[in-house]
Amino acid sequence: MSSSQGQAIFRDVPATVRKEANFGQRVYNSRFDYLYVAPALLVMLIVIAYPVYYTIDLSFFKTPASLSLANKTFTGLDNYVTVLTSAIFWKVTWQTIIWTVLSTLFSFLIGLGAALALHRAFIGRALLRGLLLIPWVVSAVAASYVWKWLYHSDFGVIGALLNQVGLADGPVNLIDNTTTSLYALIVVNVWKEFSFAMIMLMAGLQTVPESLLRAAQVDGASAWQRFWHVTVPQLQGVSTVTILLLVVQNFNSFIIPFIMTGGGPVGSTQIWITHIYELAFLRQNWGVGAAYAVLLFLIMMVLGYFYVRALTRGDDKRAGA
Amino acid sequence: MTTISERAVSRRNRVDWWRWAGRLFLVLVLGFTVMPMIWMIITSLKTGFAAMQYPPQWWPASPTLENYTRLLDPSGRIGQDFLHYFWNSLWVSTITTVLAVVVAVPAAYAFSRFRFPGRNFLFFAVLLRNMFPAVVFLVPLFILMKALGLVNTHGSLILTYLTFGLPLAIWLLKGFYDNIPIQLEQAARIDGATRFQAFIFVVMPLSTPGIIATSIYSFIGAWNEYIYAYTFLTKQSQMTLPVGIQRFFSENATDWPGLMAATFIMSVPVVVLFLVLQKYFVQALTEGAVKH
Repeated sequence: MSSSQGQAIFRDVPATVRKEANFGQRVYNSRFDYLYVAPALLVMLIVIAYPVYYTIDLSFFKTPASLSLANKTFTGLDNYVTVLTSAIFWKVTWQTIIWTVLSTLFSFLIGLGAALALHRAFIGRALLRGLLLIPWVVSAVAASYVWKWLYHSDFGVIGALLNQVGLADGPVNLIDNTTTSLYALIVVNVWKEFSFAMIMLMAGLQTVPESLLRAAQVDGASAWQRFWHVTVPQLQGVSTVTILLLVVQNFNSFIIPFIMTGGGPVGSTQIWITHIYELAFLRQNWGVGAAYAVLLFLIMMVLGYFYVRALTRGDDKRAGA
Repeated sequence: MTTISERAVSRRNRVDWWRWAGRLFLVLVLGFTVMPMIWMIITSLKTGFAAMQYPPQWWPASPTLENYTRLLDPSGRIGQDFLHYFWNSLWVSTITTVLAVVVAVPAAYAFSRFRFPGRNFLFFAVLLRNMFPAVVFLVPLFILMKALGLVNTHGSLILTYLTFGLPLAIWLLKGFYDNIPIQLEQAARIDGATRFQAFIFVVMPLSTPGIIATSIYSFIGAWNEYIYAYTFLTKQSQMTLPVGIQRFFSENATDWPGLMAATFIMSVPVVVLFLVLQKYFVQALTEGAVKH
């Protein structure tokens, strides 16, 4: 590694030189650079490239329940047709949209509010921030069991509290009925991840120049105007990244619905991922499950495009470039 | 004169109003956050009988630590299993974390400093890893692990966990390296250090907060992972805590106090770790990832 020709250190010079060399030459010249990224790429390649290929392949075949690949038969787009025409497809998709949109919206708004309230220094702020971050840190499995116990229709504390304050009379059944189950799970999900939005936005708030806020104040801007015209535009970048990450994460949620309701009752908390799991592992319907997965990849690629764009914004403007 | 002072007063009032709104909001959010945790702890101090009462005992009539001693008692069967799961989780998470740092640091450094062909493509590919949900990879990865002979070993988990810690780790660390002036390395090079030496002795120490943040993130991710552990491990002796707890629950479906004690013990290591080191995490996000 030590024998590299120092092309990285005075990079403004080689940048132009390298432009003239052909691609193979450039790859050869930077061969030592690749050593740094090779371990990461190797691991990623094993654990991603092969599964993606395998899933796409599987989606065009009918594979027996035993998953013996020797006995699979090519069926073209049949699996995709099955997905898109099945009665449950739109129900599950609609529930996935509700789940993703509401979880993201509330996590972001609560996170933003908490970040703004915690921005000003006060005694005990670090402690408070730490407490609020605990749900994000604990395991989703633990969170699911705790909330399942809170929601318990006979002995749950939420039902008891509602009875206590007179909002309910008798047993309160939130996760075992089809009208409220999805929303009950969204509450758990928001509980689990709002502090992720909070910590991202807190980091973002620290990059808002204090001088700009002062200047606005001197010019007579109200607190709301300062927030809306100074803080919000400065937070745009980090907000985009946060929202995209939340959307991706929510779309891909599995543990909370899987542990708390298993997609039930009567499929009322079934979202894409739990549905894929059910198709593949409980019904051994590998091809249809894989077709769902490929459609999911496509959606994720679109989101991923925006995510990468938001993340690498300004990347090449930096001094190192 | 009067109008100015009136305006000043009214403006101050408005600021106060916002501040009070903020405080009220924080109190509400804090209640929402801690209520489940408090109820988890209260329940874990009850006997099975006391937990199954309506209306609930808001405070256990006869608090007991029995649930904890049962889980942590190495001579009982439940205790043995639980401590085993705990140890497995600790082992898997620690190895994952060490490997994640070893792999992420050079990669992040290269993405920050070098301009090699395919850099952007590779960087995007790394970032996109977390767009893929675990569930859709279960079957192919299971087959792959079988081919590698890793099924029912912790190696299968470590290899898998490594990849979903990596994107954020690389992204955080890259942000850190972007903010370390290149002149420092140039000075080291002029003094005779090789590029690798400059990286190890100049850049690495400066990025310690980023490395700590990365480690916390990997550790927590590995500690909490459930789906792969659930699929790859069938031997009970290999199971990690999330799967072990689920197993515990399916066997003792009504032992809510025991389950709450188990989730409490399971949460302690990551919560303590995070609370102690959270400032590094916040700093890494602020200085590395968010600032442009």
